[in-house]
Amino acid sequence: MKETKQSAVKRFLGMRGMGAVITAFAGLIVIYVAFGIIDRNVFSGQNVMNLLRSMSKYLLIGVGQSYLLITGNIDLSIGSMVGMSAMVSATLMTMGISPIIAILVALACCLCCGVINGILVGKFKLPPFIATLGTMFVSRGAAYMVNNNRNTDAIATGIGKEAGDRFQNFFYYGKTLGIFNTFWIALILFLVFFFLLSKTRTGRHIYAVGSNVDAAKLSGVNVVNTTIKAYLVSAVCACVVGLILCAQAGMGNMEAGNMYEMYGVAAGVIGGISPLGGTGLLLGTFAGAAVWQTLENGLNMIGAQVGIQRLVIGIIVVFSVLLDVVVRSGNFRKNTNS
Amino acid sequence: MKKKLLAMVSCAALLATSVIGCSSSKPAESAAAPAGNESTAETSAAAAAGDIKIALITMDSIDQHWVTLNEGAQKAAGELGVSVTFMSPNTKDDAQQIECVNNAVAGGYQAIIVAANGPDAISSALKEAASSGVKIVYVDSPANVDAEATFSTDNEAAGKTAGEEMIKALEAAGVTSGKIGIVNVNAATDSTVKRENGFRSAFEGKGYELMETQYGEGDAAKSQTIAENYITQGVVGIFGCNEGSTTGAGNAIKASGNSGIVGVGFDKSDAIMNLINDGYLLCTMAQNPDVMGEEGVKAAVASLEGESLGGKVQDTGVSVLTK
Repeated sequence: MKETKQSAVKRFLGMRGMGAVITAFAGLIVIYVAFGIIDRNVFSGQNVMNLLRSMSKYLLIGVGQSYLLITGNIDLSIGSMVGMSAMVSATLMTMGISPIIAILVALACCLCCGVINGILVGKFKLPPFIATLGTMFVSRGAAYMVNNNRNTDAIATGIGKEAGDRFQNFFYYGKTLGIFNTFWIALILFLVFFFLLSKTRTGRHIYAVGSNVDAAKLSGVNVVNTTIKAYLVSAVCACVVGLILCAQAGMGNMEAGNMYEMYGVAAGVIGGISPLGGTGLLLGTFAGAAVWQTLENGLNMIGAQVGIQRLVIGIIVVFSVLLDVVVRSGNFRKNTNS
Repeated sequence: MKKKLLAMVSCAALLATSVIGCSSSKPAESAAAPAGNESTAETSAAAAAGDIKIALITMDSIDQHWVTLNEGAQKAAGELGVSVTFMSPNTKDDAQQIECVNNAVAGGYQAIIVAANGPDAISSALKEAASSGVKIVYVDSPANVDAEATFSTDNEAAGKTAGEEMIKALEAAGVTSGKIGIVNVNAATDSTVKRENGFRSAFEGKGYELMETQYGEGDAAKSQTIAENYITQGVVGIFGCNEGSTTGAGNAIKASGNSGIVGVGFDKSDAIMNLINDGYLLCTMAQNPDVMGEEGVKAAVASLEGESLGGKVQDTGVSVLTK
């Protein structure tokens, strides 16, 4: 009896990429405790709830970007899709259209962009950096033009105060069981995409395409479809984050999601997703997003200088990638020797 | 395993030193941080002066305007013996400003002095802060939530003054018609939109053609490009609605070599004063952000000590700065 229990835990810990995940979580604890020592309020229940809520954005973007990183691609347009989703939903709501329809339209726009990304990269074999750079500008342009180059009015002006409050509470201000709804939304989506990645055939194909695209094709994996699916996941995540930002401010901001694509990469990389593709656990993305948000939150609480956060995050990202490279070369030697 | 352990430990050490080494731009007056308990609702009006913690949240932490506002606030804080923490986001971003408000509430600050990016975006977050007992004072730009007091520039009147100054200079040079370009920040910031409205109202009935406003997001480089385009289209005057816009407009006039173009701006900085002294800008409407900061802190402390300010709006005025 004891033997099987032990091996299950050992198996879990021995999963490829788990080392990086553990390091990321350890780093998270260190950072959190360090800030807590400087300002006791960091430990307060209210701050923890705030932390969980604000990390939800980075978690979702991280998940979307991680899917792409694992396939060996990247999605630079994810941040602009966030802006597009926020602006499209907000503009429709200020015109009086019901929130449900506004959400569906925003989702449709993002999925459209995701499909285009997938086709450009998967079918036409454009370098993902270039293809998604293009769609990044197009989506950002769309976000600007949706409301004639200006930020929207408050959504309550179109759909009324009650509906507006309901929308804002659902995505940002409301709590369920003591924890902000935003975190529940992010957690549920995280679990769904975690399941998709680790337990389904699509997930295995995603890892395969990232590891060795030719071997994957020869084994019968439909590379084009897999690529499109990965970009669709990214689009869904971007859409939801856009809705969250729209609910947070109660209006649409044209610059919403600016730079988020980079934060997504950082969250994934800190958690051990290799930018070269093929490895990485989504659990690591969770840790990466938490590290990022804890840093941002802590530095803000103590009133630290502007550039410090960027500096520290940059150092951590480089460290994480370095660690990944070192561990990989170490593992390779270990496997060939045994 | 050893390698991973070493990496982990050095990571942690690096983080610890960088964070502790670079912490806090708090003033010497540091109030003892309350123990991390949940109830921030107990912001007692009878708090002793030494325990008062105020959060100052402006639109960003970089622009000279906000830096000067903070200086005014810190001066008043020193005199009153309270602590004011400058907790602004890096850049002008609604989502980040909302996070700052949330952090201020979670951090146990009894009052928030805020310059809202826009009237709506942070309203919900401020409402939540107010219902936890946090006092709100507006500086520079209010939001749609009732507050103790507001200290700001009457932007519309100041914009009108700027327009009148430009007309005076143009008429003195014998230019009674022509195109006028306006470089604004964005369509969402109430204060700069009001300045534009005031500026436009000064031109009613005059023979000048006011062109469609362009937005430079308050970035001097973007604003300069816009102003250069205006100059190519043959404008006789350019109005910059805030510090960055004015700097950009002035630099564009300088680069064009056309000293006939009348440039009028808003806000004060070394760069802008240099442009005025060199003759590329006619004048600028200098706000008094330090007065806003000072009065804001005084009002916050007064309301925490039980005084009711009734939501008064005080105009902190502008001075017309010329050569």
